Amino acid sequence: MLTFVGLGLWDERSVTVEGRDAVRAADRVFAEFYTSKLAGTTVADLEEHHDVDVEVRAREGVERDPGPVLDAAESGDAVFLTAGDTMIATTHVDLRLRAHERGIETSIVHGTTAAAAAASLTGLQNYRFGKATTLPFPYAHGGDDVPASVLETVDANRERGLHTLCFLDIKVGHERAETDEHMTASTAASLLTEAGRGDDLGAVVARAGSPDPVVVADRLTALAEREVGDPLHLLVLPGGLHHIERDALVELADAPPALADERLA
Amino acid sequence: MRIMGRRKKIVQECEKLMDRPEQIRNIAIAAHVDHGKTTLTDNLLAGAGMIGQESAGEQLAMDTEEDEQERGITIDAANVSMTHEYEEKNHLINLIDTPGHVDFGGDVTRAMRAVDGALVVVDAVEGAMPQTETVLRQALREGVKPALFINKVDRLISELQEGPEEMQQRLQKVIRDVNELIRGMTEEMDDIDDWTVSIQEGTVGMGSALYKWGISFPSMQRTGMDFGDIIDMERADKRQELHERTPLSDVVLDMVCEHFPNPIDAQPRRIPRVWRGDADSEVAEQMQLVDDDGEVVLMVTDIGVDPHAGEIAAGRVFSGTIEKGQELYVSGTAGRNRVQSVGIYMGGEREEVDRVPAGNIAAVTGLKDAIAGSTVSSIEMTPFESIEHISEPVITKSVEAKNMDDLPKLIETLRQVSKEDPTIRIEINEDTGEHLISGQGELHLEVITQRIERNQGIPVTTGEPIVVYREAPTQGTEQVEGISPNRHNRFYVSLEPLDQEIIDVLKKGEATMDMPELERREALQEAGMDKETSQNVEHVFGSNIFIDDTKGVQQLNETMELVLEGFEEALEDGPLAAEPVEGALLRLHDARLHEDAIHRGPAQVIPAVRDAVHRSLIHGEVRLLEPIQNVRIDVPNEHMGAASGEIQGRRGRVDDMYQEGDLMVVEGIAPVDEMIGFSSDIRSATEGRASWNTENAGFRVLADNLQPDIITEIRERKGMKTELPQSIDYF
Repeated sequence: MLTFVGLGLWDERSVTVEGRDAVRAADRVFAEFYTSKLAGTTVADLEEHHDVDVEVRAREGVERDPGPVLDAAESGDAVFLTAGDTMIATTHVDLRLRAHERGIETSIVHGTTAAAAAASLTGLQNYRFGKATTLPFPYAHGGDDVPASVLETVDANRERGLHTLCFLDIKVGHERAETDEHMTASTAASLLTEAGRGDDLGAVVARAGSPDPVVVADRLTALAEREVGDPLHLLVLPGGLHHIERDALVELADAPPALADERLA
Repeated sequence: MRIMGRRKKIVQECEKLMDRPEQIRNIAIAAHVDHGKTTLTDNLLAGAGMIGQESAGEQLAMDTEEDEQERGITIDAANVSMTHEYEEKNHLINLIDTPGHVDFGGDVTRAMRAVDGALVVVDAVEGAMPQTETVLRQALREGVKPALFINKVDRLISELQEGPEEMQQRLQKVIRDVNELIRGMTEEMDDIDDWTVSIQEGTVGMGSALYKWGISFPSMQRTGMDFGDIIDMERADKRQELHERTPLSDVVLDMVCEHFPNPIDAQPRRIPRVWRGDADSEVAEQMQLVDDDGEVVLMVTDIGVDPHAGEIAAGRVFSGTIEKGQELYVSGTAGRNRVQSVGIYMGGEREEVDRVPAGNIAAVTGLKDAIAGSTVSSIEMTPFESIEHISEPVITKSVEAKNMDDLPKLIETLRQVSKEDPTIRIEINEDTGEHLISGQGELHLEVITQRIERNQGIPVTTGEPIVVYREAPTQGTEQVEGISPNRHNRFYVSLEPLDQEIIDVLKKGEATMDMPELERREALQEAGMDKETSQNVEHVFGSNIFIDDTKGVQQLNETMELVLEGFEEALEDGPLAAEPVEGALLRLHDARLHEDAIHRGPAQVIPAVRDAVHRSLIHGEVRLLEPIQNVRIDVPNEHMGAASGEIQGRRGRVDDMYQEGDLMVVEGIAPVDEMIGFSSDIRSATEGRASWNTENAGFRVLADNLQPDIITEIRERKGMKTELPQSIDYF
């Protein structure tokens, strides 16, 4: 049996009760933190909290060599952990399919994900989000700017009045990065400013799921200058604003009222 | 002192002539090894007053490197300028020396691009040799006009005791052979009419560089001396008188002034042949017109090192005037270099001058980014076509400094070496200190390592020579699927082996991604590629081509860089033994990509494409190719068996054996791998009586029964798993 458990957004306590029970009952506990991480805790604290050993696997150990995970799931109860939800932005459906190929039963325990936090913390309505996208580090996608497809996604959403949720790149152990890197909202805003989108409205969410998340909305040129503290960050590029969304951005995210008014649909 | 005074005068004279392009000739002397080029060069210098008359023939002024004089062969191209009066006008003759040894062919092509005329020197006794053909081809391909000098005629008279009749027949045969080569090579060149040489027209000179006399049709008319007189005087041992009455330098330099084009005549024809940029551009016109007020364009043929001035870039100024203080672009590098000084050559020395205008050969310091072959210019421009590497490196040796302290100096020297000789490739490994140096043959590398030890005083240890192999597909394949590690991205690729003709075009740099698309298409179509394929060329890597046949795949555009990275990685290290792949056409038919850029990043796309390319190579029954060499051995009859045995015993093939003069000639081919150590083996097999010559002859598929062993050997050496991927089951 292979159970995919989403750990939620912040620390060892962000997991659901169902998820916690699954972790504690498992024979083996695997995890990956190369797609995202729990910014408010460490693996050691996670292990201590649940009183289990967590085997953290690098990208290679999931994508190229998933054998040990599947072997464990074949002979006993294994859980596979990620931050957030295991199937939303991180897309571990491939691992699930491989398990099915070997006749292994699987199940999913949901976790709170960034997509949910983006809507709930900013007040932007879930119904009005379009396609999501990820902003990669320039060195990591073979170019030196924002990939055209990212801008196309934003533009296409905007045209239809929809918001764009923009995940920010994470590089763990990349040869070009000195330490693990989590793109900050200000880096993202400056990359987009360089791509000619500086006048656009953006809403930053920092440390979603923590006791003191930060939410700020402003022009991207302004956000590029603004530090919002430790990771993780994400960025929403609002499309047209419903009047309640407008009020929420001003009240909850400190958006300049005149700027928010420009976007009223 | 007397010579120094004369020298100064010559420099002044040269400076005056630099501004009169009609009175300039840029020439090269090209010859088979030992046919007397260096002796001839010294004759010309002596005739022009550059060195004493007495020493010509012994001085070997152009062999400036010690090891060249010891070996008696000329290795590096060097440059000299001299003046010569012809028809009451003084002429400035810029002479670029070209190496005579086969192993260093890259230098010859480079020198040829800088000159307008080539004096082809052929030994009267030996006749046209394989390398005569090679250098002639190199000259003609660069649009350089040939003239012929038949050397060592004294030997026909004194040694072989030939009469006028016999001699005439022999000389006619040399001329016929050379003309046959010229005709064959220029047949398809539209810009060249009839470049065959003839005695009557004065494009053939004959004589003895050793005894410093010469003769030609015009000289006979001028001096009144005919062949009969010459035979008599040579027989009577009146060589000094012969030299005084009909000096070789006059014969040759008159021929140079009369028959070789000056820059004004040559550049309009040659620029379209040697430069691939926009023919309608301003700089194209300036180069064609030898415009000394135009943009500065210098093509570097050679980088030398002066202990005081540092690196010196020598080359042809095609337009503009090069002066101290100019900030010039160097092709292939960013930013500009500042000219520190300009000069011209005199013997082995450089004379600084204020300026060098279009049409001349210049020596420039300060161009720190330039390498042999660079285009240096005052505007950013299309560089001269990449120097055609007829010979790729075929052999590699590791070089290590004996003293740790020498390490930085060794690295610097190695970099320098590869700048001076682009046929040398260097791989610096600062972690292990074991650097790799690759070149044209065992001797080539030996010469380079000796130079490092002797000239730089760095004691080094070198490893065993390692042969460079290639991997090439032998058949086409169906579509093969390459899947990214996260399995969200898929690439569909098929493979076709390229025809030899296309491979040649790619190797010669006649179809590159730098050139205008239309021209590239034409070059490929001419070599036999179908029209549609030639239109979809997305990338060229070595002698491999990547074709994008996809239609409307979303986001493929921004992923293409990564696709090409995967393609290059796969071809740099082939699936058999991580040797470079050649002759593969890979066709991308379709791609399925993840919606989000992060899930189709380098970690996904590169391995997926590499995997697809490798698997298609395996389906295409990839084989190891080994470099081979043409071998020619000249040997007395009684040692012929031993000599041909030396070829046959090396997995070689003897193609021809025939008599030439009093020697037998054995011609054949053999793998480079087996030719290691040939030098000493042939010496002992023939009691040192054989002279021999090799020339790289490309790559050939290694016999199937040898493939597994050699592959295993290479894999072991590289620290790879020795077992092959399972799907390679065809050996």
